[in-house]
Amino acid sequence: MAGLEKTKKEKNFWEAVQEYFVELGKALAGGNITTKLSTVFMGLGHIFNYQYVKGILVFAIQALFVAYLFVTGIPNLSKFDTLGTVKREAVFDPLTLQNTVNDYDNSFMILLSSVSTIFIIILFVLFWIANIKNIYKIQKKRSLNKHVNSIKEDIKDLVGKKFHLTLLSLPVLGVILMNIIPILILIAVAFTNYDQNHMPPNELFTWIGFRNFVKLFGGSVSSSFGYAFRKVLNWTFVWAFLATFTTFIGGILMAQLINSTVIKYKRFWRSLFVISIAVPQFVTLLLVRNFFADSGIVNSICASCGITKFLQDMGLVSRSITYIPFLTSPNWAKFMIVMINIWVGIPYQMLIATGVLMNIPKDQIEAAKIDRASPFQIFRNITLPYILFIQGPALISDFVRNINNFGVIYLLTQDVYVTTDQALANAHAKEVDLLVTWLFRLTQEYYDYKMASVIGIIVFIICSVFTIISFTRVMAGDREETYQ
Amino acid sequence: MKRKFLSIVLASAMTLVAMTGCGNPDVATDPADMEMAAPEESGAAAPEVAADSADAIQNLINNTSGTVDLTLWTSEEDQEFTQKVLEDFKSLYPDVSFNITLGAESESTVKDTVLSDVEAAADVYTFAHDQINDLVNAGALQEIAKTYTFDVASANIDTSVEAASLGGKLYAYPMTADNGYFMFYDSSVIKDPSSLENMIADAKAANKKIAIQFNNGWYLYSFFKAVGLDATLNDDGKTNSCNWDAEGGTDVCQTILDLVNTGVVVNMDDGTTVTGIQDGVVCAAVNGIWNAQVAAEAWGDSYEAAKLPTVKIGDKDCQLSSYSGFKLVGVNPHSKNVGWAMLLAEYLTSEAVQTARFQARNLGPSNINAAASPEVQSDKAIAALAAQAPYSTPQVIGGNFWAPAETLGQILASGNPDGTDLQKLLNTAVEGITAPVSE
Repeated sequence: MAGLEKTKKEKNFWEAVQEYFVELGKALAGGNITTKLSTVFMGLGHIFNYQYVKGILVFAIQALFVAYLFVTGIPNLSKFDTLGTVKREAVFDPLTLQNTVNDYDNSFMILLSSVSTIFIIILFVLFWIANIKNIYKIQKKRSLNKHVNSIKEDIKDLVGKKFHLTLLSLPVLGVILMNIIPILILIAVAFTNYDQNHMPPNELFTWIGFRNFVKLFGGSVSSSFGYAFRKVLNWTFVWAFLATFTTFIGGILMAQLINSTVIKYKRFWRSLFVISIAVPQFVTLLLVRNFFADSGIVNSICASCGITKFLQDMGLVSRSITYIPFLTSPNWAKFMIVMINIWVGIPYQMLIATGVLMNIPKDQIEAAKIDRASPFQIFRNITLPYILFIQGPALISDFVRNINNFGVIYLLTQDVYVTTDQALANAHAKEVDLLVTWLFRLTQEYYDYKMASVIGIIVFIICSVFTIISFTRVMAGDREETYQ
Repeated sequence: MKRKFLSIVLASAMTLVAMTGCGNPDVATDPADMEMAAPEESGAAAPEVAADSADAIQNLINNTSGTVDLTLWTSEEDQEFTQKVLEDFKSLYPDVSFNITLGAESESTVKDTVLSDVEAAADVYTFAHDQINDLVNAGALQEIAKTYTFDVASANIDTSVEAASLGGKLYAYPMTADNGYFMFYDSSVIKDPSSLENMIADAKAANKKIAIQFNNGWYLYSFFKAVGLDATLNDDGKTNSCNWDAEGGTDVCQTILDLVNTGVVVNMDDGTTVTGIQDGVVCAAVNGIWNAQVAAEAWGDSYEAAKLPTVKIGDKDCQLSSYSGFKLVGVNPHSKNVGWAMLLAEYLTSEAVQTARFQARNLGPSNINAAASPEVQSDKAIAALAAQAPYSTPQVIGGNFWAPAETLGQILASGNPDGTDLQKLLNTAVEGITAPVSE
């Protein structure tokens, strides 16, 4: 069924595209002389049809577009293939104490303006097509002696019948400016050599094709990037899985425990956990990082009561050190990060789970009790499936969020964790790094924007895949009835 | 270089004591007064400042219309002091209206902020000198082709000028000369600070620790340099040369392993060292002036500072080396008021302000005359830095040095848990340190 539905939808989309261009063809073929002239002088059709204000507005938009094209659009687009050739040079005049700077190219500005210009051109073409169709429509209406909207009526429509257009235009503009253009820039940078040696405005950067991708995936002898990438990606997935499921299960168990009849003062316990949410997470994390430092309070307690020695006897702590390397040796650090994340993450999950638990249909549980089901059986067969059903989509988005969980990893390990894997160190990565924290270090400390962009694209792809899965599979509209 | 600096300091201490007191920035009421006052301020450097400098400043004043907007970044701790100095600067030029915004940026990491958007960065900023090569490569420092109120190159100690230059060109104004490391210790515990072996014996007897940060390339360097193995920046200003893997390198590694194995010498970062000193666990630390104050307060009268000790590497007693460090003032070439920015930077690093900075903030001046004053000379930490000076080099190294050196130090400080062959460790570290800065 689902497959059939999909092809039907796709067909609709292609049909719509086809229709769109057929309409344009009709308008161009069937238009009278003013409609045809409007392809060049865009407001003309409106003015001939006595829509003066609209005509002038359309002319103004066309003029703005042409002006933009000539002032910044074309000059930047013409350099798009090289991203600039003139390096910045400044000459200091010791007598006037002024710098004379040549007319230099800024590769990043060229890239940014070019991408924006391409976007503006596309938007303008869409506007141009809409305009032609509109004029053709008016022409037909006139020939049939039908009513043509005045500008006042058009504006009225925008807050009335076509209010959805008004409402949507701002968010769409926001998405284009804040999301789409930056993502396109990010993708573009991945194909350039924008790094510490090529930093605008002082230096130029240029296109280098797929070399960065080869560096990351190829794992050539000269760079340890490939090795680091595999290790980091691996840990990113392990972490996202552990972080999501430990807090999820922990939250349910905790909520279940507080909900159970044996516990008194339920509200007190619940608010106790909420208080821990009220403390900003980064404060908690930085404090915990200090607690678990090599010479922190936990270590001195462990040392004085013999735990350190016990762990050394067990072989979990090397004999050559006198402390437990909670956040400084790879395996300990990974273990501690997951544990600390459980600690800071459970209260949230507990609150959500409490809400869900309170909504479990009581009749089912009562029925189960009458059938003498044990509490575990009730949990396994009623409570858990119910929670999973409700929280399934949230679980997947949690997974995606944990892939990008910058805060926990960065705050717990920055300045504390030093990798002992020399190949990782040579690629500026650490065992405990997620793709995002590695990306952050590459940009923030090594200005390696090109490699960071490549990693950014990969993070983007991974996150999109999981988000799409969660939206199509888990949240499919017809699932509502499946839960029984 | 270092010896020359010392002799200059000593010589000028005798002759110029009287002059340093005169550096007080008397408020000049008109530009003409200022021009006269300026050469005097720089003492010995007077002949270098020719009349055309005064002309140029007058020219600049005449050509300045409207308010001069400048942004200045200094460290969080320097804000109060700098605010006062800025008022003095403004009163030097009563005909010009300034709007100077003071911002706080850590000197050790200001590069990160500046490089993320050079054009939006401050017109004038202070920074630790190790960032100079990255800043120059990114075009974030104005070359100081000419100075106006005093001659920067001759007024400051040679090493500081060297640290402020790249490829023979001066790019910044030296401000302090105390940003290197030395050793401070509790003299009630440590009787003989001259050799690390004796120190360990003393500390062991008192059941206390000695803090050295091995997992930081900055400190790790001192052990390798002690046997003559070096890590330096290449002429391209980006990549490094390093011969730590040469003969003797494995001895250095073994020494560090042995030191850590005593349980007395402990790998501690800055924060842990400070808490260790306050808790009374640490009785000696290899660290910088920024933490010396904490130790002075914690240990009271028994606080002492000295040059780094010797340590037995292989079968020889070797004097530990160190990186010397300087704080510099840089001018952003993208500034709209480069001229005024340069004059402000000159003022911030002038002898008078350097002296005032020492009095207010206890920061060791790089200005020769200011450094020669008896107060400066009697400061324990600054004296220790001077004693360490012959065994130190200005730290200039490319970015690829840090991560591999840090990892090497971490492996050694944790006792080489995998038992990797020491030569192999060094080979991989050197490969990372000398790696090309992205092809």
